[in-house]
Amino acid sequence: MNPDSLRDPLDRRTFVERCARYAFGLSVLPLLSKRSFAETVAAAQPLARGAGFGKAKHVIFLQLQGGLSHIDSFDPKTGDAKGPGNPIATSADFQVTQYLPETAKIANKLTVIRSMTAKVGVHANAQYLMRTGYEKRGTIVHPMLGAWAQHYLGRSHATLPATVCVGRPANHGNGYFPAGYSPLPILDPEEGLANSGSRVSADIQSKRLTLLQRLDATFSHQMPDENVRAYGDFYDTTLQLMKSSDLKAFDLAAEPGAMRESYGRNKFGQGCLLARRLVESGVRFVEVQSGGWDMHKGLEDSMEDKGGEFDRAFAALVSDLESRGLLDSTLVAVTTEFGRKPGFDGSGRGHHPLAFSTVLAGGGAKRGYVHGSSDEKGYGPASQEMTVGSFHATIGWAAGLPIEKEYLTPSGRPMAVGNKAKPSLEVFA
Amino acid sequence: MRPLTLASATVLALLLVSWSASAAPGGKKRRQPTPATAAPTAVAQPAAPAASEAKPLSEALPSPWRQWSDPAGRKLDAAFCSLIGEVVTVQTRAGQTHRLYLGGLVPEDRAFAHDYAQRLKAKSFADAYVKQASYQIDYLIGSTLVGKGQKFNAPATDEQFVRRIYLDSAGRVPTAEEARTFLADATPNKRANLIDQLVYSPGYTMQMYNWLGDMLRVKDSFGKNVPAFTFEDWLKDQLAADRPWDELVRTMLTADGSLAENGATGFLLYDAQMPLDGVSNLLTTFLGANVACAQCHDHPLAEWSQKDFYQMAAFFGASDGYDEKSISQAKKLAKGKSSGPVLPKAGVQRIASANFFRMVDTPKQDLTFPKDYKYDDAKPGSAVAPALIRWSEADKKNPAYNVDTTNPAQLRDEFARWMTHADNPRFAANIANRVWKKAFGLAVQEPVTDIDDPKKASNPELLAHLAQIMKAGHFDLREFQRVIFNSQTYQRSASATPDLEKGPYLFPGPLVRRMSAEQVWDSLMVESVGPAVDQISLRRGDDMKLLALPGGAATPEAFKVVMDRVREADGMAALGGGNKKKGGGSEKGLISAYEGAKPQQRFGMILARASELPQPAAETHFLRVFGQSDRLIADTSTTDGSVPQALLMMNGGIGQLVSDPNCAAVVSASVGKTPDEKIDALYLAFLGRRPNTGERTATQAALRDGLALNDVAWTLANTREFLFIQ
Repeated sequence: MNPDSLRDPLDRRTFVERCARYAFGLSVLPLLSKRSFAETVAAAQPLARGAGFGKAKHVIFLQLQGGLSHIDSFDPKTGDAKGPGNPIATSADFQVTQYLPETAKIANKLTVIRSMTAKVGVHANAQYLMRTGYEKRGTIVHPMLGAWAQHYLGRSHATLPATVCVGRPANHGNGYFPAGYSPLPILDPEEGLANSGSRVSADIQSKRLTLLQRLDATFSHQMPDENVRAYGDFYDTTLQLMKSSDLKAFDLAAEPGAMRESYGRNKFGQGCLLARRLVESGVRFVEVQSGGWDMHKGLEDSMEDKGGEFDRAFAALVSDLESRGLLDSTLVAVTTEFGRKPGFDGSGRGHHPLAFSTVLAGGGAKRGYVHGSSDEKGYGPASQEMTVGSFHATIGWAAGLPIEKEYLTPSGRPMAVGNKAKPSLEVFA
Repeated sequence: MRPLTLASATVLALLLVSWSASAAPGGKKRRQPTPATAAPTAVAQPAAPAASEAKPLSEALPSPWRQWSDPAGRKLDAAFCSLIGEVVTVQTRAGQTHRLYLGGLVPEDRAFAHDYAQRLKAKSFADAYVKQASYQIDYLIGSTLVGKGQKFNAPATDEQFVRRIYLDSAGRVPTAEEARTFLADATPNKRANLIDQLVYSPGYTMQMYNWLGDMLRVKDSFGKNVPAFTFEDWLKDQLAADRPWDELVRTMLTADGSLAENGATGFLLYDAQMPLDGVSNLLTTFLGANVACAQCHDHPLAEWSQKDFYQMAAFFGASDGYDEKSISQAKKLAKGKSSGPVLPKAGVQRIASANFFRMVDTPKQDLTFPKDYKYDDAKPGSAVAPALIRWSEADKKNPAYNVDTTNPAQLRDEFARWMTHADNPRFAANIANRVWKKAFGLAVQEPVTDIDDPKKASNPELLAHLAQIMKAGHFDLREFQRVIFNSQTYQRSASATPDLEKGPYLFPGPLVRRMSAEQVWDSLMVESVGPAVDQISLRRGDDMKLLALPGGAATPEAFKVVMDRVREADGMAALGGGNKKKGGGSEKGLISAYEGAKPQQRFGMILARASELPQPAAETHFLRVFGQSDRLIADTSTTDGSVPQALLMMNGGIGQLVSDPNCAAVVSASVGKTPDEKIDALYLAFLGRRPNTGERTATQAALRDGLALNDVAWTLANTREFLFIQ
């Protein structure tokens, strides 16, 4: 098999076609063992190129929507900029605020990046930038990292999607790549995969499908069209997914109660647990969204509530991955839209993109490390400044993507992972 | 305005506008008809068309003006625009559009409307012109095919044709009855007759609205608290009244005022806070000019420089869509920081956004080059003088370029005149190319967003001819589509998706393509509800019109007047308050905004056509899962497949709906006398054809084996043949 075959839509089709000669074969995918997929994906990996490259087989991208206050979380300040929370010691040689006690315990597994900087201070546009590595434009949609990974590395599992997003719809998804690279959206982690179960008895369903196979044959024989064929593949994949034992990956009920408690019984906590289940089952890229970080007012209460939810879920996720031996091959990224203003008005803080913090855990990132710094007030980066593009390039590097390679969009524009920014290889052990 | 009913009679008195002698709206110049040329025959290479040109349009119509009355004696002076289904659209001298129900008018008015609608049909493109122009299409394509040693596809069967033409012109599949009627029709010109019938059906307007929705980014809300319902209503009115494309675009580009006053402002106001992006969008959408890159730097591949872009943008440099000062005054009012009454915050915000997103022209054009401008042809930060882009030297002598740039307040109008001028080098070709794509699945020149070099078209002569038809029909999109639907090329069987890397597609026939999200949904609606779904109409702009501030100023008094007005009209939804009666966020509020018949709600879905649902539909809605555009960026709807689509069709609400015993297609199939008749009816409903022998046998067997008709409906809906247009 040509290793490039999974990268190009047309060749990917050839691949699927080779495996799926049946017109609308409802029994196609069982032929396609996990093993053959794993081998193909492995063959598509470019050669390792130095520290950290390709170590992250999975990425969990936590997106704190609204703008995490860096000063009140991972980059505590003293003096005027200080917020309501006090700094606390951690298991590493840096501090976080009192709102992150559980995270403090696992700080020795984290890389905290305190020198993030951007120019976008509007929610939607900043979210877009953080998901795609590109500033939002009126004329093109850029893909998220999961789609880039699928473009270069192919699928990550025979029946499960390569990219899943939890708690948000599939926008900012495939961008200019084929729709198949779009993340599978799970809006409510408790609900899992919507409509995955048949509404009729197994007997009726089986008879319907038998008839469907027969009735679908006429057209697919008459019309040898790639898009028609692609739909057959989608139906095959879907039917396989419906029957597949892998579907359990979406079902949180399969987790012991204590495990569910440890992540926190809220949407974000359960979303993180779902992310762990999914990467464990072979999904490459999972994004989990948490809303409610736009703390213009009532920051102290919100940091206790939202911060508490995040703290518990994030620490549980990192510890859980570690105890399962998955942390070295899974990169967890804590991201947000922007930071918040150094001036605390007694209640909250405004938007502040010039300085903010992100966190990396696992996937080859250093343990107990602070990358870069913000200035005394937390107003701007003071050392080792990192743009969002560079952050994307860094994650792309860890995921084994050829980040320097240009991809020409259908309209002829050259694009690359992280908008051709340089990765910060210092974060890798 | 909702259609005139007895209940809204009090409004009528306000609408009375006296007769005026000035030019009537909609009075397109029509030309004399001429005799038909010889009809073409089906050959691989048609003979060259006759030299004598059939004149496209017939003579002028009588005056459309009339004093409309209802049986209670109330009157309205307005010009007839269109009759679609049971709704007459009229326009007053002041330019306001009203929708009147036929049933609410006196018999004389009803007769007038019917008669005028007939005249409009009869006075459109003469049949002879349609034949000649469509024959020329076939000829130009045939010549190219022969030159490359290729052949036309076989003619489409009646079954293929009937399904395709319903989808392309009415936006949905035919019902079993509609398909059966056409297939049984023995008239020789039944295809032409069906085309004429469908382009005047209510579905045509819905289909065009969906298509334009993606292109013009029709969206319920531009941002927080800025609903655009009046723009949506305005666009629906334009389509129903068959306003020509040049007029429609010109109206959008020159529109003044707020969304509350003038729905047509919606197009420009969408980008009010990002005016440069707005210019880039409109150049791409209306001219196929690939300028997006030039906004930030000289285009690496195309001709346009950053200076070109800024000189074009300067035509909008004296226009402003966002009245920051008034918005800030309104905010103060809401906070009680101003003298006068303290007003509820939500209401003030809603009123402010409806009024101060407002297109105005100022006496000064103040666009400057960016501070980091890096080319030698202008100084960073210096003033930009407006100048039009040219595609060739010949454009220097082009009458479209005769614009006056001396008066800043007129710059936008001058620009619009140039852009929509019949002689504009790209305006006609751009829309012709896009409409062609809608019918054939691929444009003559791809991508449609870049036709800067027409030599790169797959068939430059064809593109030129299509532009010519567009101009001959005075940009009447309905007439243009009549021509291309009547071509033999359109009426051929479909090709599989070509590999364009191997060379251009020369159109031996249309392409097979997955239905658009709207076509899939609308087809499933007609299967489930029946053709009555074409009559369900959503209009949410009326409450917004109540929000127009008298004097247009952010004074406490003006806000108070509006709030009282809204309270009186019981249109609280317009204020976004708790009592969301119409067009608000709640489903109940949405239902109340439907005119006349209310849609059914089943399995968590409102059963109305895509054009009569929120724009765009909610993120998890069937329409979005099937690729409806999010309307954030133009031309982004997709027809790609996905796993969630298959899950929805099999197990989701829509899967339950089509397999429900109450599904209209199942109900009407079940009246068949024999199992064969029932099976035929379902096949006709979903696939527009009867089953072949093998399919019939398999279906009969399945019915004997425990499946019911509704299971067969589920099965047919899940075939790929259902999802694709052949």
